[in-house]
Amino acid sequence: MRALIFAIIFIFSTSPFSLSSVISDIDKSNIELSTRFDGTSILVFGAISSENDSTSLLIEIIGPSTSVNIRKKVQIWGIWVNKKIAQFHGIPSFYKISISNPEHPVLIEIENQKLKSLFYDFLKTNSTSEEGNEVEQYFDELTRLKKKLGKLSTFEEQVNIIDKKLFSYKVNLTKKIHPGIYKIKMTLIDQQGIELSKSEQSVKVSKVGVQEFLSYNSKYNPVFYGLFSVIIALFLGFSAAQLFRWLYR
Amino acid sequence: MQIFLPIADVPVDLFVLLILGAAVGFLSGVFGIGGGFLMTPLLILLGIPAAVAVATEANQIAASSFSGVLAHLKRRAVDFKMGNILVVGGLLGSAVGVEIFRIIKSYGQIELFVSLCYILFLGSIGTLMFLESLSTIQKSRKSENTFKQKKKHNWIHGLPFKTKFKSSNLYISAIPPVIIGFIIGILASIMGVGGGFILIPAMIYILGMPTKVVIGTSLYQIMFITAFTTFMHATQNQTVDLLLALILIVGGVLGAQLGARVTVKLKAEEIRILLAIIVLLVCLKLALDLMITPNDLFSITYGSGS
Repeated sequence: MRALIFAIIFIFSTSPFSLSSVISDIDKSNIELSTRFDGTSILVFGAISSENDSTSLLIEIIGPSTSVNIRKKVQIWGIWVNKKIAQFHGIPSFYKISISNPEHPVLIEIENQKLKSLFYDFLKTNSTSEEGNEVEQYFDELTRLKKKLGKLSTFEEQVNIIDKKLFSYKVNLTKKIHPGIYKIKMTLIDQQGIELSKSEQSVKVSKVGVQEFLSYNSKYNPVFYGLFSVIIALFLGFSAAQLFRWLYR
Repeated sequence: MQIFLPIADVPVDLFVLLILGAAVGFLSGVFGIGGGFLMTPLLILLGIPAAVAVATEANQIAASSFSGVLAHLKRRAVDFKMGNILVVGGLLGSAVGVEIFRIIKSYGQIELFVSLCYILFLGSIGTLMFLESLSTIQKSRKSENTFKQKKKHNWIHGLPFKTKFKSSNLYISAIPPVIIGFIIGILASIMGVGGGFILIPAMIYILGMPTKVVIGTSLYQIMFITAFTTFMHATQNQTVDLLLALILIVGGVLGAQLGARVTVKLKAEEIRILLAIIVLLVCLKLALDLMITPNDLFSITYGSGS
């Protein structure tokens, strides 16, 4: 925090003709997912200095990668059956992008380019005949569903800049988030969308306590986990029998 | 109070789960049923993935049946020899069932498969219970006591590998118990049920076991099968949610104790019709979910598997 303040002072004390730059910090670098985790938010703040007024600040939050399957329900004998139709390999489980200037001239281009490089390029379809419009459709469904689930947001919120120098931005995370590293990228761009300066932060989201113990062992020590589950159940069954025998003696 | 289930990967309300556990436990106390065939679909309707609901429910039944076996051991109402033979068949059935489960899961169709199994089962059990209760009520109105159950000399007695079951006072082939155990093992592993609703009638009508050892012996087998099924699901499918199981065990134990104590005060047959209606409603809901055109045809799942 103190380093940040010094840095801010440093930037503002340098000549007004210096290169554009952005510095940032976050209010927490660790998020613990306990059994009672109910969502949280990350506050991103910092300062920008720019040569002119035409620069805009982009803030992106990129969650850890996962594989996502797109499934479509098809009717077979009157029953709706899920059919896997496409898979996206290694795409961010969470992605949010916001800008300080919602009237930026190349906003659409930025959005398309970001979504293409983060999502579109990682599509794997099941069908052998990969028609262009099919690929488009899977991509559209992915972005629509992700937006619906609150896992994708593009320019829905605005980054606040105070006095053309300081910015603050709050990222809300729902209770259902993937553990892993969340990258927060701040990029200063000009009117053409060209990068002038950037800064990056990261937040580690990890399961803790019972959550961590159970999900880790279930995945990596399944034999131990299986025996443990059975023993706990039998122990509880035994305790219940003893307890009620004692109560109704 | 919201809690996050680590394996099911969904947030749920703790009190809803406790009340659900207690309610199903209560019903099982009243009717002497395991309750798995009600709990698993209810968990699915709550939004817990079918694969997790099945495996976790097996874990819960291991706890409740062990507690039940202990009570029956005191009364010497367990035929161990018969129980062990049923267990042998059951372990085989469970291993086969978990493998079937794993294969269907790898195709991403486990939700559908479990739903279809339940629609079939709840539909037939609910209808049978409903009709039986109706006819019992009609009979009791006419005050006719028609209790008859005779040991018949049927095809069972023609099979080889005959052996003596002292506690049951039987001399029959070991093949039928192995087959019955096998079927129960498959049911436990793909539906997350103890299988008492099939096992008990099978023991009485097919094997001809005396009623006094039937419940203790069935609990004895169910305990081993569900414990083994839990272990198999944990190692093969990683779908046992121990936190969910713990909540259900606590709720279930309390409910079952209450249920076992209020039995005398309730008119059994009329309550049984109520249970039949609950069973049919759950069945109907599952069936409708499969048949009604979904709002959103598309959905996403995570992971590289299904």
